[in-house]
Amino acid sequence: MSSFVIEASGLSKSFGQTHALAGVDLQVRTGESLAIMGASGSGKTTLLHCLAGITRPDTGTVAFQSGAGRVDVTALSERERSRLRREAYGFVFQQGLLIPELTAVENVALALMLNGMPRLRAEEYGRGWLAALGLAGMEDRRIGQLSGGQAQRVAIARAQVTGASVVFADEPTGALDSTTSAEVMRALLDSTTGQGRTLVVVTHDADVAGRCSRIVDMRDGRIVGERVPGVSA
Amino acid sequence: MIGRVAWLLARPGTAGAAASALPITAFAIVTALLLTVLGGAQSFWSWSGDVGVTYQALAVVALVLLVVPLASLGGAAARLSARRRDDRLATLRLLGATPATVSALAVIESVVLAVVGALAGVALYFVLVPLLALIPFRGEALGIEGVVLAPLTILGVVLGVALLAIVSAVLGLRQVVISPLGVRTKQDAPKLHWLRIVIGVAVIALAFLVMSVLQVAGSAMLILAMLGAAFGGSIAVLNLIGPWVIRLVAQSQAKQAKVPARLLAARAVLESPKAAWRQVSGVAMTSFMAVFAGVGIALLGSFGEAADAESQELFADIRTGILITVVGSFLMVACSVGVNQAAGILDRGELYRSLGMLGMPTPTMDAARRRAVMSPLRITAIGSAVTAAIVMLPLTGLTIIVAPLSLAVIAGVLAAGIGVVWLGLLATRPMLERAAATN
Repeated sequence: MSSFVIEASGLSKSFGQTHALAGVDLQVRTGESLAIMGASGSGKTTLLHCLAGITRPDTGTVAFQSGAGRVDVTALSERERSRLRREAYGFVFQQGLLIPELTAVENVALALMLNGMPRLRAEEYGRGWLAALGLAGMEDRRIGQLSGGQAQRVAIARAQVTGASVVFADEPTGALDSTTSAEVMRALLDSTTGQGRTLVVVTHDADVAGRCSRIVDMRDGRIVGERVPGVSA
Repeated sequence: MIGRVAWLLARPGTAGAAASALPITAFAIVTALLLTVLGGAQSFWSWSGDVGVTYQALAVVALVLLVVPLASLGGAAARLSARRRDDRLATLRLLGATPATVSALAVIESVVLAVVGALAGVALYFVLVPLLALIPFRGEALGIEGVVLAPLTILGVVLGVALLAIVSAVLGLRQVVISPLGVRTKQDAPKLHWLRIVIGVAVIALAFLVMSVLQVAGSAMLILAMLGAAFGGSIAVLNLIGPWVIRLVAQSQAKQAKVPARLLAARAVLESPKAAWRQVSGVAMTSFMAVFAGVGIALLGSFGEAADAESQELFADIRTGILITVVGSFLMVACSVGVNQAAGILDRGELYRSLGMLGMPTPTMDAARRRAVMSPLRITAIGSAVTAAIVMLPLTGLTIIVAPLSLAVIAGVLAAGIGVVWLGLLATRPMLERAAATN
């Protein structure tokens, strides 16, 4: 079995006249934490969307190595990609983007309910994840009653509760202060790579990237460098 | 300076042309429906004599009943128009624009959208006039001359719609003026007290008693006063307990929900039961009236076979009037629901897109928002009809025996009305699909 959980080759994507990706090759190793860095407009979010099966690239392929075998993500239909994202991946966005009218535990349990798990069991799992992320006692609070850092940890719990083998995070600490940002990043790493899962983070924050095991730098839709934090290039 | 900034803000934003087109469409529908209702009512004013006065009185009742859903639709249109600017005006406040500048911009934009919409509504009204003219009353069609409004009346309606937009813009944007970050703050929905249900049950019981002793009243004036009290009291109760009942049912649904769509729908209603009620409250009055008046007319029609031809004609016309009022009310609620849903989709676009990224199927999102509207609507329509049936209990029972067809027609119209609202929801589905699209 390949040691790469995701393998992308020759990815190109344009939006009108803008070339967001211009021939990207990237392998993501099982259990690593990979940071994708770059300035605004460098194509890092588009790359994350292509890797996660959210966006279909114009050219190139993305393969996902699951327990059941290798899947060509780019060849899947929209419905199949939705299912893949629901069952095998987890997502954390900059603003959390949780459902405001649901409680914390319902937001987390929803991810499991979408996969057909009965609600009681889903909420039981949800409570477990919230407790593991330091949110015990806050399960029944609505999102508006939580701080930014707490809401982001609910988003992390939602991303993890399905047992996702890969978690994609797009600027997960972008809206947080530096202390909360460090706490959220620690929670994200502990719950992913700490459990043998894979984390792909898009960030422009060097501190966040510095906590990952590998960094790739992007510019003008291309990968222009790769480094290991703490080791000079 | 204000004019130049207003021109800049008039350019399509990130939400695209839909952000301007929606309020314009909503104002157009409000204007067209208002003119249509006024046109229909106006035709009765050309009639003279005792029967003419009766028709005029009934037209006033119908207008009053239609005011609630119309006001709700007008409010929805104005809120939608105001909401599309909230963020940009808040940004202007952050950049240092004075409260007076922000208020002026809000008013200018609202008036422009409202007037453009109202003019489109006038055009739509003239398209509807030939259909309106075909409705039969007193044995013949109303006729085009009877339903076409005077230019001054039309101008008055256009100005009225513009005024509604101004008031809503000023009220809605007060928070932007008070605090540039105000539009971002969100508070918990206030709790509704159980005392409402106690008062509600007491008033319904009282109305039932009043209706039970109606026959012992000595004079026609007293009977009318008792009928008015029972009708008005019950309507007031519906407004008092409606949000409470909706909240109670949604709480139970949230607890019992086993699938995501049901959970999301129940929680969306619980977010603001008052807003859920406001959206469908117009139906409460018309459903109540349909059964209340429908039972009375059905009985009069059954027992009044010996009555003269003029009375028979009046009964038939009241039946027609009830049906038109119920259909009109549901049409307005359907438009109001469509406008509110469109605004909701624009507001929650980023959330819908993120849910799409997480892999939530669009049909699940769609089912959730449909349930969030249809459940309160069903509770309101059926609950109001049942309340009316209880208040009129002895007569309702009698009607089921002697004139079951009349009640079946009312039930059928209510069911069709619920279907019309469902179609209104269906119309906004493509917007949701676009919002949730990940590619």
